Amino acid sequence: MTKGLNRFIKCFLGGFLTISVIFSCNDSPYMQGKRLYLANCANCHMEDGSGLSALIPSIQKSVYLGKPEIACILKNGLRDTIFKDSTFLVREMPAFKKFSATEITNIVNFVNHSWNTSFKETTITQIEDAINICQ
Amino acid sequence: MKLIFYYILGAFSLLLVSCKNNETLPYLGQTVVENGKEIHHKVGQFSHYNQDSVLMDNSSLSEYVYVADFFFTSCPSICPKVAKQMLRIYDTVKDEPMVKLVSFTIDPKRDDVKKLRLYADNLGIDHNKWYFLTGDKEATLELANTYFVAAFEDADAPGGFDHSGKILLVDKDGHVRSFSEGTDPENTPKIIEDIKKLVASYKAENK
Repeated sequence: MTKGLNRFIKCFLGGFLTISVIFSCNDSPYMQGKRLYLANCANCHMEDGSGLSALIPSIQKSVYLGKPEIACILKNGLRDTIFKDSTFLVREMPAFKKFSATEITNIVNFVNHSWNTSFKETTITQIEDAINICQ
Repeated sequence: MKLIFYYILGAFSLLLVSCKNNETLPYLGQTVVENGKEIHHKVGQFSHYNQDSVLMDNSSLSEYVYVADFFFTSCPSICPKVAKQMLRIYDTVKDEPMVKLVSFTIDPKRDDVKKLRLYADNLGIDHNKWYFLTGDKEATLELANTYFVAAFEDADAPGGFDHSGKILLVDKDGHVRSFSEGTDPENTPKIIEDIKKLVASYKAENK
């Protein structure tokens, strides 16, 4: 009787653990990155990274996905005008000087993990190198 | 026994009220009775330039049902989120000529006609469907109140203005008939439904 109960508890715990792992895996493993993204980026780029027409670029389709150089844009912001046929886009993004290399790495990994189909983790060394070059 | 009766009465009256709401949209704001006639709240008078330098006022919209919001182009906080929902509404009413969209800038100093035209172009919308209006700042801030939008200058707020991200539905006579919180995407389907209801009620009138 106690043996059966013992087995039941083990099975129960095993099942519980499996389910909790499955559910936690559905969320992003980059929790700090997610938190920072939602607090600093999602207002303009939207929670799903879709942006707003030509006004605010979509991150989902960004050419910077998977590239450490994005760290420069995060750090220094962006202010330029792109001419394309008869229309032109004014691109303005505020600078986030306050972000550390660790925080940028976490944001970049959260973004890539969410929207880059060929996701590969970016290391903090890659981000630090990128920041050193852009200054 | 008495309790059960009241319960059923209450349930039925609720049913009646909800049925009534399904037919016509309520008039938002204060309704006063003058000489036995109900007078509903109306939005204030405006005279603003649109993104194509055309002067527009209330009468320019008297043939249309319109969806309004207050924003400014350099707004770093809630505006893009609200604009996203306005764009969502725009996409559903694109082919309904009775509906227009109107976005008033509360920052006319920076948002001149040229800036608004660029904004509209980048948003990729039809200039005859969605108007971006700029005018006197004080008048616009006062106007916002009549649309139940709180908007005021605040040096401490992001971008220099504090305002709410409400999206309002206004009928042909200038009465506010529905609203949604532009910052909450889950609010949007409701106002889209209300736009359809309002349009349908005008079409039924003309038959």
